[in-house]
Amino acid sequence: MAAQAAASTFNGNLKKALAGLRRINLDGLRWRVFDAKGQVLGRLASQISTVIQGKDKPTYAPNRDDGDMCVVINAKDVCVTGRKLTDKVYYWHTGYIGHLKERTLKDQMAKDPTEVIRKAVLRMLPRNKLRDDRDRKLRIFADSEHPFGDRPLEPYVMPPRKVREMRPRARRALIRAQKKAEEQEQGGNQRKGRREGKTEVAA
Amino acid sequence: MNKKEILKLAKGFRGRAKNCIRIARERVEKALQYSYRDRRNKKRDMRSLWIQRINAGTRQHGVNYGNFMHGLIKENIQLNRKVLSEISMHEPYSFKALVDISRSAFPGNKNVVLPTRKVNVSSINV
Repeated sequence: MAAQAAASTFNGNLKKALAGLRRINLDGLRWRVFDAKGQVLGRLASQISTVIQGKDKPTYAPNRDDGDMCVVINAKDVCVTGRKLTDKVYYWHTGYIGHLKERTLKDQMAKDPTEVIRKAVLRMLPRNKLRDDRDRKLRIFADSEHPFGDRPLEPYVMPPRKVREMRPRARRALIRAQKKAEEQEQGGNQRKGRREGKTEVAA
Repeated sequence: MNKKEILKLAKGFRGRAKNCIRIARERVEKALQYSYRDRRNKKRDMRSLWIQRINAGTRQHGVNYGNFMHGLIKENIQLNRKVLSEISMHEPYSFKALVDISRSAFPGNKNVVLPTRKVNVSSINV
């Protein structure tokens, strides 16, 4: 406890970070640290959800919650592909008629970057009675400071990305684009050669 | 007679279903139907649980379930999934030996990593 008080140079809401830790019974659990910097949002959330459910342990049982505690840092540095930054919209309905609210990913990151990862992970967990307890095991921090420094933390190494083979049409398009880029370079070189030749002729 | 038997079977039910015969009769019929169906479902669920456990255990050693089973079949090891899941839970060293046998019999596919065009969120906000 003294160590925790000393390690609170962490100025975020310490109360929220330590909330509900008493409710989580077992401490045979490990504390895994996920670094979200440069990770794609959905792929990271998928790995987090498997760890939180405890599905990476051979003692998995579906009726009890045995997942590890997950600490996610650098939540504001998470990446998305495509145009999702402006086009991914979070919808929710307040219950009143006509009040369907929406917020884009960009605005959500400005408001509270931890909510993006939390929503992603929560929506990947199975919808059963253990979902709230699993939510309590997930701690997300926007930057790389966290008050759990005195616990035995284990960094999580993301598995290498499996990319499927490109479909034939996409592959041909890629080859065409590469050839075009090469021809443009060669065309540039030829033009430079011609200009030098002309100046030589003029001189 | 019949009422007594039904109320005996209705122990532990919620609300009036454990006390009042008209409601208890319906609920007990449903309960017996469920138990008939679930005696068959239990075999499926247990097998699925064994497979999940074996998958977790092999992924700790870098092999996924499909490649692992393929390797075992190639080596003609006929341990069933129930036994394999028990081994993965309680005998980690023996399980590692099995994973090594399977890996030597059938090496898994290599993973290809290609960089994608990612948009870094924080750079845009700031």
